[in-house]
Amino acid sequence: MMRLNPFRRFRTFRGVEYLLAVLVTVIFTLIVLPFRSAGGQDHTVLSLLYLLPVVLSSLLWGLGPGALVALVSFLALNYFFVAPYYTLLVHRTQDLVVLIVFLGVSITIGQLVGRVSKSLNESTAREHEAIHLYELIMHLAGLQDEQEIVSTLAEQTLITLHADRIDVLVEAQGNLPARHVRMADRSKTGFPLEDSPTYITPLQSARGFLGEIKVWREVTSLTQAEERLLQTFASQGVQALERVRLSQAASRARLLEESDRFKSSLLSSVSHELRTPLATIKAAVTSLRSGMVEWETEARADLLAAVEEETDHLNQLVGNLLNMSRIEAGALKPERSWNSLAEIVQSALERMRTQIEKHKIEVAVSADLPLVPVDYFQIEQVFINLISNSTKYSPVGTTISIHAEAVNTEHLLISVKNQGPYVAEEHLDRIFDKFFRVTAADRVTGTGLGLSICKGIIDAHGGRIWAENLDRGFGFNFTLPLTWEGFALGTEQEILDE
Amino acid sequence: MTTQPHILVIDDEAQILRALRTILTAKQFKVSVASRGEEGLTMAAAQPPDLVILDLSLPDMDGVEVCARLREWTQVPIIILSVRESERDKVIALDKGADDYLTKPFGIEELLARIRVALRHSAQTLGTQKSQIITVGSVVIDLALHTVTRAGEEVKLTAKEFKLLAYLAANAGRVLTNQSILSHVWEPADADRVEYLRVYIRQLRKKLEDDPDNPCVIRNEPGIGYRFLVDE
Repeated sequence: MMRLNPFRRFRTFRGVEYLLAVLVTVIFTLIVLPFRSAGGQDHTVLSLLYLLPVVLSSLLWGLGPGALVALVSFLALNYFFVAPYYTLLVHRTQDLVVLIVFLGVSITIGQLVGRVSKSLNESTAREHEAIHLYELIMHLAGLQDEQEIVSTLAEQTLITLHADRIDVLVEAQGNLPARHVRMADRSKTGFPLEDSPTYITPLQSARGFLGEIKVWREVTSLTQAEERLLQTFASQGVQALERVRLSQAASRARLLEESDRFKSSLLSSVSHELRTPLATIKAAVTSLRSGMVEWETEARADLLAAVEEETDHLNQLVGNLLNMSRIEAGALKPERSWNSLAEIVQSALERMRTQIEKHKIEVAVSADLPLVPVDYFQIEQVFINLISNSTKYSPVGTTISIHAEAVNTEHLLISVKNQGPYVAEEHLDRIFDKFFRVTAADRVTGTGLGLSICKGIIDAHGGRIWAENLDRGFGFNFTLPLTWEGFALGTEQEILDE
Repeated sequence: MTTQPHILVIDDEAQILRALRTILTAKQFKVSVASRGEEGLTMAAAQPPDLVILDLSLPDMDGVEVCARLREWTQVPIIILSVRESERDKVIALDKGADDYLTKPFGIEELLARIRVALRHSAQTLGTQKSQIITVGSVVIDLALHTVTRAGEEVKLTAKEFKLLAYLAANAGRVLTNQSILSHVWEPADADRVEYLRVYIRQLRKKLEDDPDNPCVIRNEPGIGYRFLVDE
C-alpha cells in the first residue's frame, strides 16, 4: 500500500482520553473528600475504592489512561487521605506499605482489564472485517462481466471504508478494454476533494499489474485494520478479474477448436464433392478427345450434357462454400433493397435450367405480391438450394411446387414442396445443421451445407425456416419480413400516385 | 465480303484468353488479347476495336478504371466479365459506361448473343438517323409521337410510364442498372428508390407483355437492373 501523506499515518493523539481519565480521578476524589474521617485511619478502605476509577478508565480508554489513573490515584490518596494531609510525605511505615501495594495492585488490575477490553475490541473489529469481506465475496461470486466486477468492487470498498470517493481503474490488456469506475458518497457532496487520492492500492496479479484502487477519505485516516481490509479487497477483485479472463480465454479456445473442427469436416466433405464432378468432366472430355465416340452421336451429346451439368454443379458448390465461410465469419450481411419475389424465383429457375429438367416445376408466386426488402442474391441462393435439395431427394418426374403468399401485412410465407420421402420427425430440425444428412453420403451428392446456408441467410433476414412432412411428400417453409427497419412499403397504388 | 469485326479481350487468365481467342476466331472475328489493363488501353488506342470484352479483376488496375478510361474517348461497346462475388463492381462498371456483363462461368452461346446485340447497338448509334420507331413482338413504340400500340391497339400509358418505356427502348439490348434508370426517369435524388422502379416495371409488363408473369420484353437482370429485349 502506498501512503501518500505521511502525516495521516499518525492517529489523532489520544490526549482527550488521558485528560478524561485524570478528570474522573479528580471528580472521584472530590466526591470522597467530604467523607474523610478526622482520624485519617480509613485510607485502606479508600485505597480499595480508588481501584474503581482505575478499572473504569482502563475499560473505557485502554492501558495508557488506566496506568495514568493508577498513578494519579496513588498521589491523590497520599495527598488527601494519608496523614499528614496536603503533603506527599508519609510518616507511618504502615501507610507507606498500603500506598505501594495500592499502586502495584491498581496498575496490575488496570493492565489486565485494559488488555481484555483491547482484545475484545480487536476481535469485534476482526468480525466486522470478516463480515465486509464475506459481503464482497458474495457480491463478486458468479459475476462474469469485468465492468460489473469493477463496479461491485468500487461500491463495496466505498461502503466498507466509509470513503468519500473510490476510483477503480483496470488497464486495457490485449483486446480487453480499460475499465474505470468512480463511486462517490452522495451525502458528502460539496466536500472539497483533493486531486490526489488518500490511498492507492495496486490490483496486482501473479501475472502482472492489472490496475489500482484509489481511495479518498478526508475526515479520518485509515486504521491498520482498514488498510489490511483494503488490500484484501484488492486481492479479491484481482481474483474475480482473473477468473473472468481465464473463463473467457477458455471459451475462446473452445470456439477456435470448434472452428477448427468445422474447417476439417468442411475440407473432407468438399474435397470429395469437388472431385466427383471433376471426375465426370475429366472422363467425358478424355473420351471425346480420344476419338472413341463418334461425332454426331447421342453418346457424344450425353457426354457433353454431363460436362455442362457438372460445371454448373461445381459453380453452385463454390457459391455455397463462399456463403458458408461468410456465415461462419459473421460477414453475411444482407444488402437489402425492395425486390419482387417473383423475379427472384424466376432467375433462380433460369440459373437451374439443366438441373430441373427432370422434374415438373409448378410456380405460384404472383408478381402482385408486395415487394420484399431482401438481398436479391442471397434469397435467390435460398431458392436454388431448396430446389436443388428437392431435385436430389425426390424421384425423377415428380412435381416440385413453389408457393408464396402474404400471411399478414408483416410477413410473406414461402414454401417449396416436393414428393420426396419423409424425414424422421426427430431429424426435421437437424437437417438445417451443418453437414447433417439424412441419407448416407454416398447415395446423394452434396456437401450437407445447402440447407444450413438457407438457415443462415433467412436468419440474417429476420425470417424463420422449417421443414415438415406433408401428406404426399416433404416441404420447406420460410418467412420473410415485409418491413425494413420497422417501415412497411406503401401499396402499389400509393407509389403510383406519389 | 464485309470486314471482320475486331474484338479486344482484356483478361488476366491465360486459359480464358486461350478459349476466347480460339472460339471467337472460329466465329469469324478478328481477336486481339491483353492480359493487363495498361496493355489493353494501349492496344485499344493503337488499333480501335469494334468491341471490348473486359475482366473486372486485372493485376495492374481495376477493370472499372479501364472502363472509365476507355469511355473518355470512345463509345466502343464494352462487355464486362466478372465472377459472381463482385456484384457491386459490376454495377459500378455499368454505370461508368459498360454496355453489358456476363458472370463467369458463362456459356459461349450467351457470350456470342451479347456480342451480336452490342455490335448491332453500336451500329445503330453510329447510324445517321436513330430509329424513332421500335418494334418488339406485337408492340410498336413511336418515340416521336409518344404512342404505343400492341397488336394494332393503342396502349394507354401515363407520362411516367412512357418516359420509363422510352428510356428502356432507346437503350434496347443494353443492361440498365436500377440506379441509372431511376436517375434518368425520376430525379437523381431518387436513385435509391428501387420500389418506384419495381412498381412501374410491373405496370408496364401488365400493359405490354403477353404473359406479365413471364416477361420477355422487359427482362430482369438479377440484382442489377433491367434490359429491354428487341427482336434479333
